[in-house]
Amino acid sequence: MRALSARLPWARGAPWAPRASALAALALGILLALVPAVAPRDITLLNLGFFTFLYVAQGLAWNVLGGYAGYVSFGYAAFFGLGAYTTALLWLAGWPPLATYPVAGIVAAAFSLIVGVPTLRLVGPYFSIATIGVGEAMRVLMLNLDRITGGASGLNLPTAVPSKTWFYTTSLLFAAVAFAVAAWVRGSRVGLGLMALRMDLEAAESLGVRTALFKNVAHSLGAFLVGACGGLYATFLQYVHPDTVFSFTESISLVLIALIGGLGTVWGPVLGAVVFYAVQDYLQTSYPTFHLLVYGVLLILILLFEPKGLAGLAERAWRRMRGAPARLAPAGPSGAEPAAPGRGGAG
Amino acid sequence: MAPLLEVEKIAAAYGEVRALWDVSFSVQTGEIVTLLGANGAGKTTTMRVISGLLRPLGGEVRLGGRPIHRLPAPRIVASGIVQIPEGRRLWPRMSVLENLELGAYLPESRARRAQTLDWVFSLFPRLAERRAQLAGTLSGGEQQMLAIGRGLMSRPRLLMLDEPSLGLAPILVREVFEIVRKINAEGVTVLLVEQNVRQALELATRGYVLETGRITRSGTAAELLQDPEIKRAYLGM
Repeated sequence: MRALSARLPWARGAPWAPRASALAALALGILLALVPAVAPRDITLLNLGFFTFLYVAQGLAWNVLGGYAGYVSFGYAAFFGLGAYTTALLWLAGWPPLATYPVAGIVAAAFSLIVGVPTLRLVGPYFSIATIGVGEAMRVLMLNLDRITGGASGLNLPTAVPSKTWFYTTSLLFAAVAFAVAAWVRGSRVGLGLMALRMDLEAAESLGVRTALFKNVAHSLGAFLVGACGGLYATFLQYVHPDTVFSFTESISLVLIALIGGLGTVWGPVLGAVVFYAVQDYLQTSYPTFHLLVYGVLLILILLFEPKGLAGLAERAWRRMRGAPARLAPAGPSGAEPAAPGRGGAG
Repeated sequence: MAPLLEVEKIAAAYGEVRALWDVSFSVQTGEIVTLLGANGAGKTTTMRVISGLLRPLGGEVRLGGRPIHRLPAPRIVASGIVQIPEGRRLWPRMSVLENLELGAYLPESRARRAQTLDWVFSLFPRLAERRAQLAGTLSGGEQQMLAIGRGLMSRPRLLMLDEPSLGLAPILVREVFEIVRKINAEGVTVLLVEQNVRQALELATRGYVLETGRITRSGTAAELLQDPEIKRAYLGM
């Protein structure tokens, strides 16, 4: 029994899952990092990679509060925009872009606390609606602060920018950091607390889980990452405008990515962002609004048939492939979440 | 010696709806005290005020002489009170072990969680057998055991049980009450809310009767069992 208590497991699902998942992510990351070496001139491919990774990072960041804790925010554009403008202004003041990203993240995280402390007391739809208000208020505010933000004409940024390969690699790095953070949170004590409060807020509080603190930690962690992404985006575009970086569409995109990919799963936002950006990239140029219809259909299908999104679908397919032998194992209660055989015998 | 828990003249409401008017009682260290009353008398509300889930409109709650009625719920858990909520409120899609882990969430209890876990498993061997199983797949009795075990993981000085017999077969009710006695014998003070009046009074040292948000009677368990009014209203005699 002592041996068991010493390694209180956090395992959700099979015990091999976290390690296999980390290895898969590492392999995928290395593979993707080699792309610029193989195709250094393929600007289209590098741009596609840049945007996809940027959305992967943001989807993962959004999912920490939105998926794990179930607080669906439609206001992350405020963090993206603040990050973009922080980088823009510091860059204009002579900072090297790379040094501005952590500051962009910190500004966004600080703002998330100002917003989160009052609004995270709200639950369910009330929280979501409050975040729409905050996001839109920020956009209008920034549009009118034209001394600082350039207002409706935006801000032109320096034209001396790093290479496409640099952007590709940096964006990939952001996605990798976001993945590591999301996976770590999910497996940690904080993650367990976030999931507990999603399922029963009052029970969690009555056991001593500091729910207000954890919600704010999750919120500002997500805001930090999204803010840094905003900074990177501003450098890439060499131009910032309140209507683009604070747009409601940006907020919605993150929700869609997490929903399509799988709320509260680590791989969900990765898959979601790939589908989201690929669909947008292929359809937007030829049929400007057709991608919205595709998202709508995808969303309905997912809500109806697979609430855990693409990640849930992949898991189901994986289980079916090796399903028969797993079913025969005596421990699994219903097959819903296989009782870890290695762990069960540890006592 | 000062009582472990003192509840003094608390009043509480849900919005405009007044639930408690003037509730005062105390629990001495080592006792099992039961709070009796019909549905809607205010028993659960009283517990929610003590555990910090509901702010009282007035009055005081003191633990070991220190006022706690203004502290947030997690701080009250840290000070040594834990509530086992009515209907158990487990996380059905988490494992038995994860549910227990959430009970030892505070830094203080986390440091001792390995020993506490061994203690809880010695009280509830069935939980040890089923630790990897999802809580939702346990039987009703096992779920109640898990709810109690989860509360014990914070090493409380005062364990508050809200209707632990709810929805259990009579034989399981006896088993749960037996375990409460055992936990009490190991030094945990117990405040028990029950509709199952006879069994609660057989277990408890003292009792209080709540009626429409006020304490109307109190005494030792033996006195209350003999009280003709209680016999008539709650024991059907």
